[in-house]
Amino acid sequence: MTGSLRQNMAWIHGWLGLLAGWLLFAMFLTGTASYFRPEITRWMQPELPAAGVTTAQAATSAVAHLQRVGADDVQWYIYLPDARTAITRVFEQPNPKAPPRPRGELQLDPRTGDPVAARETRGGEHFYRFHFQLQLPYPWGRWLAGLCALFMLGAIVSGVITHKRIFADFFTLRWNKGQRSWLDAHNVSAVLALPYHAVITYTGLITLVVMYMPWPIAANYAKPIDFAQAAYGLPADAEASGRRAPLVPVGPLVAAAERGWGAPATRLVVRHPNDRAATVTVARHAGASINARGASVTYAGATGRVIARSPDPGPAIATMGVMLGLHIAQFAGPALRWTLFLLGATGAAMVGTGLLLWTTARRRPGAAPFFGLRLVERLNIAVVAGLPVGMAAFFLSNRLIPAGLAGRADLEVQAMFWTWGGLALVQLARPPRRAWAEGFALGGLAFAAMPLVNLLTTTRGLPRSLAAADWTFAGFDLAMLAIALLLGVAAARAGRAPRLPVSRRSKVLVDA
Amino acid sequence: MFIDRQQPQPAPRTARPPWRGTVMAVRCVTALVGGYAFAAVVVTLIARLLPGDRAEATGWGLTLSFLFYAAIGLWCFHERRLVRVAATVWGVAVAGGGLLWLLGVRA
Repeated sequence: MTGSLRQNMAWIHGWLGLLAGWLLFAMFLTGTASYFRPEITRWMQPELPAAGVTTAQAATSAVAHLQRVGADDVQWYIYLPDARTAITRVFEQPNPKAPPRPRGELQLDPRTGDPVAARETRGGEHFYRFHFQLQLPYPWGRWLAGLCALFMLGAIVSGVITHKRIFADFFTLRWNKGQRSWLDAHNVSAVLALPYHAVITYTGLITLVVMYMPWPIAANYAKPIDFAQAAYGLPADAEASGRRAPLVPVGPLVAAAERGWGAPATRLVVRHPNDRAATVTVARHAGASINARGASVTYAGATGRVIARSPDPGPAIATMGVMLGLHIAQFAGPALRWTLFLLGATGAAMVGTGLLLWTTARRRPGAAPFFGLRLVERLNIAVVAGLPVGMAAFFLSNRLIPAGLAGRADLEVQAMFWTWGGLALVQLARPPRRAWAEGFALGGLAFAAMPLVNLLTTTRGLPRSLAAADWTFAGFDLAMLAIALLLGVAAARAGRAPRLPVSRRSKVLVDA
Repeated sequence: MFIDRQQPQPAPRTARPPWRGTVMAVRCVTALVGGYAFAAVVVTLIARLLPGDRAEATGWGLTLSFLFYAAIGLWCFHERRLVRVAATVWGVAVAGGGLLWLLGVRA
């Protein structure tokens, strides 16, 4: 606009970060937690042991259940358990002519096919959904999340252009120097994991690109579904013939598909079950390759013959699949998964320190803070210190709400948002520095309480899970303690004496 | 936002014309809405005109979309002359959109 390239980029970097920063912080935190989506779900259903059956058995038992409750459905979606999940999830697409009855996601015991005898919970799905839907109705949440991701992408590019001493700053972190330290912390968290931030942001946009940018498809295909069929080899949705034919046993179909891939199956879609035109599509587990758009094979449901196979993807379709895979990281083993978790945490740290830097850079010693400064500061406290407490409330409510209570899954979600919202309001009554320290301290206490509450309310407390080498539960409890420690340190630091006065030289430039 | 450690410069104190807010609003809308239209048109042209497999061409268009969007959006805030920004962004969007309309869906 009026300055050099770097000045303009610094200006837009500040605005992009400020406008999207709070939502981006929440997206980073919940997205990072979602690396452990199945593990969180398992921790939140402590009644359930690990699945311990093959995918073929799980498919067979799920179909047996669906034949009992929804034999006339249009379509069944069956999500099979894997090494990290304990349940089979099924969705029914009901026949419009059938009498309506309540249907939603159903969680089945993979062994018996009966609905699971475990507490009702959203589990890790809650953070995962919030990460890109922001608890807003479809499609607005996804659009808002996309806008934030776009701002993030713009902030990364403009930040890199602004940042000419990228290599030197890699080694620069000056503690306890007020604004200088926040800038260093922002730079270190951003530069250290820059490839990660860039990749996770771009691939995140690509996960929903078909929704955000449908025009390339519209220019090439009369119907959007034609693109999916061409790219991923999905068979055209056949109409029901109206003539009945029993569905062949699905277990052997799953087993055959898995033998062909040398990798486990993850999903089964049965269309028009018990019709002569029935199809059974088996999809490969996303963890089998970095390309998360796994192969699929479709069988005729009445005969069990193969009627379609996904083609080997070309470079562009494979690139999109790899981008999706890099984002959801299903391929990652435990070591890589924890590394990605820590990198995701640096993303939250980068956004958080950037937001803090905005206020620190504008504070004038001795001068009353202007309205915008107070607003940003309060929103910073509400989000950076408040959201972790809300997430802890979600976990704690899972253990404290009676396991048999109807509608408890929604109550858990409400616990998170009421706690978060309440905290955002209550902190207004405290001076900012106290509010920071107390918010972090509350979060630290809440996370530290988790292993204790788990010990008191379940039979899978830390001593026993450690003794039994139950790494899902032991790892969860230990992670809670580590987060509690981190928040405790943050509380102690935030409560310390005021920062050093800002140097005049840097003030001028931060305003530029 | 960022701190320039080498050359501290005072913030420019130019006179602010009364229409400054409107000018900035036009620039922002051009970056956000116009930038989207620009990127959509460019990647859709790529997808429509790239020879070879149709699904592949579509895939390249989709994959590159946000690269174009981010780049044009940032450029909108770099280029000093707003007229040039608006003409480029909206010009490409309208001309490319018209071309796509003439081309129609790939047969």
